[in-house]
Amino acid sequence: MKHPLDLDGRRLVICLGPGGVGKTTLCAALSVYAAATGIAVDVMTVDPAPRLLDALGLDPVRADLQEVALDSVALEARPRRRAKPRLRALRLDPKHTFDTLVRRHAPSDTARDAILNNRVYQNLSSALSGVGDYMAMEKLLDLVAEPTTDLVVIDTPPAAQALDFLDAPRRLLDLLNSRALSLLASSPGLMRGGLRMFDIAARAVLSAFDRVTGFHLLGDVQSFVTSFEGMYAGFAQRAEIAGKLLRAPETMVVLVTTPESERLEQTQEFARALAQSGLGVDALVVNRVMPRMPKAAEIERARIPVSLKRKLARNLKDFSALKAREERALAKLKTSLPPQVRVIAAPDLGREPHSLADLLEIARRLETS
Amino acid sequence: MKLARLVFVTGKGGTGKSTVSAALALGLARGYDVTLADLDQKLSAARLLGVELNGSGPARASSRLEVMALDSRRELEAFLERIVPLKAISRRMLRSRTFGYVSAALPGLDAFLMLERLRLMAGESARQGRYLVVDAPASGNALEMLSVARGVKGIAPLGTLNRLASEVESFLADPARFCVLLTVTPEEMAIREAIETAVHLREKLGISSIGAVLNGAVPPLFDAAELAALSAIEEHARLALRRDALARHTANAREQLAAGGVQVVELPMLFRPALGKAELRSLGLRLAEGFTRHT
Repeated sequence: MKHPLDLDGRRLVICLGPGGVGKTTLCAALSVYAAATGIAVDVMTVDPAPRLLDALGLDPVRADLQEVALDSVALEARPRRRAKPRLRALRLDPKHTFDTLVRRHAPSDTARDAILNNRVYQNLSSALSGVGDYMAMEKLLDLVAEPTTDLVVIDTPPAAQALDFLDAPRRLLDLLNSRALSLLASSPGLMRGGLRMFDIAARAVLSAFDRVTGFHLLGDVQSFVTSFEGMYAGFAQRAEIAGKLLRAPETMVVLVTTPESERLEQTQEFARALAQSGLGVDALVVNRVMPRMPKAAEIERARIPVSLKRKLARNLKDFSALKAREERALAKLKTSLPPQVRVIAAPDLGREPHSLADLLEIARRLETS
Repeated sequence: MKLARLVFVTGKGGTGKSTVSAALALGLARGYDVTLADLDQKLSAARLLGVELNGSGPARASSRLEVMALDSRRELEAFLERIVPLKAISRRMLRSRTFGYVSAALPGLDAFLMLERLRLMAGESARQGRYLVVDAPASGNALEMLSVARGVKGIAPLGTLNRLASEVESFLADPARFCVLLTVTPEEMAIREAIETAVHLREKLGISSIGAVLNGAVPPLFDAAELAALSAIEEHARLALRRDALARHTANAREQLAAGGVQVVELPMLFRPALGKAELRSLGLRLAEGFTRHT
């Protein structure tokens, strides 16, 4: 029987979704599962919980690819693509990735050092929202380019908007390449004609800003932009490759959510925005769905004290109410999605995953809803 | 812990931050004037109260409860407008151009201006005897936001912003004006995050007034002997274990948060097929009572 998330022929699985839905755990589960089918898998996680790192047996300090020991995992009888399956995991470190990128594309050592030491760059690389997304994309390209890897699974930073991650390269390029920034880069004396009122205004804002705040922003922005010259081409090319990769048929886009009604609207919005950007969602995984409710008759038949029977009946009634609430939310969600999106339920383990076996269990229990 | 004029509600994603904010605002509005400020772009707290905010200012949920959205980008625009007298030039153009690189160069500035706005609002609330409930971002982002005053002092050693940053810092440390409520559910990760957040707030940011709302608390139902006797009816046993796990995590959360010096108010898990305004109201009453009783 085929797994509900059919990974055959896929090269990349990308998980998108709001924060707190268990995206990272699901990514880890899928990658353990895929490795157990006998292929070479790399997984990139964003901000994994210590427990998850434990479950994968990873060193929490390292940010490079680490081999996950699969000894405890029962591999499928007939490995499909490789003699020796493999799982490697990586924790995303945006600052480190950005530095690497600068080192790779900088035209000279002087330019490189100028950028790395610039205050604007240091702020930009560690704190600007969107840089994390962009760097995840960058790392992804590196992983996919690796010929010994069959499948790459990536987690994305929690997003308020579905397109935050996918738009990241464009947004960063827009920022670095904007007319305002290039204008700032040149000194006033060198500016040629054709300068419009709002360009002058932009400079005026920054100098006023400097005066009021004591930041000396203008100078920093100028030297930042100057030092980035000559790197735009490299960045733009990477962004284009990433855009193509995300839309390729070998890429599976998985939207992750949980069955609470509060999340419904956000999930619908995500799916809509993704569809509009030409990125089809292949599957929606509804995480931590409550299991099916057992039959009340079993309580009656059981040979246990009456007091315990009463408690069980109450427990069943309580959880059935929660299950009904969940099902109502799910039904509403389904009617709002395009018909080609497969809805897959990920049953709740009832505890945090502690081991590779737990992760594998999560992936194996996925079922079409 | 006594509720401050401004109650900053945060927690791990999915722990009911917006629900708790909305419920608390409802509960407090029975005795006071209340403003609920929604910092969350999804505006779910406002929606729970049945208010649609269309960006044009505050709306009323009831005679004593006002709901508004706060947007950090708007704060940044207002700040730029204040410091730059360029009325003659198309403001729109100016904003769109300057916004990108000012926020790129100083990523915390918008968050900082938001805190400054909250400080002013808290002062105003104190004068009017009103409460301000803030539905803040999830705890990771909230910590970043609350930390920016320190950062701003670091990069702007002089000038207006430095002075404002000092004022924001003393505002955050003042239990009469600012307190944090952490939402937590009976789950291992949520409990851990709440405790880590509480420690960070207290030790790194000097925020002394911290409470927690244990959302979906479940009392124990089965004892160990009963659980052991259930192995024959497997599925019911699993369901009983699920209940038991929730009850154990409820007890853990209670214990660990108390050990961390955080006052906890518990909201019971509502085993009901639908949750509406009536449920929200009853939760709100518990919250308002819970946090005002110990004063």
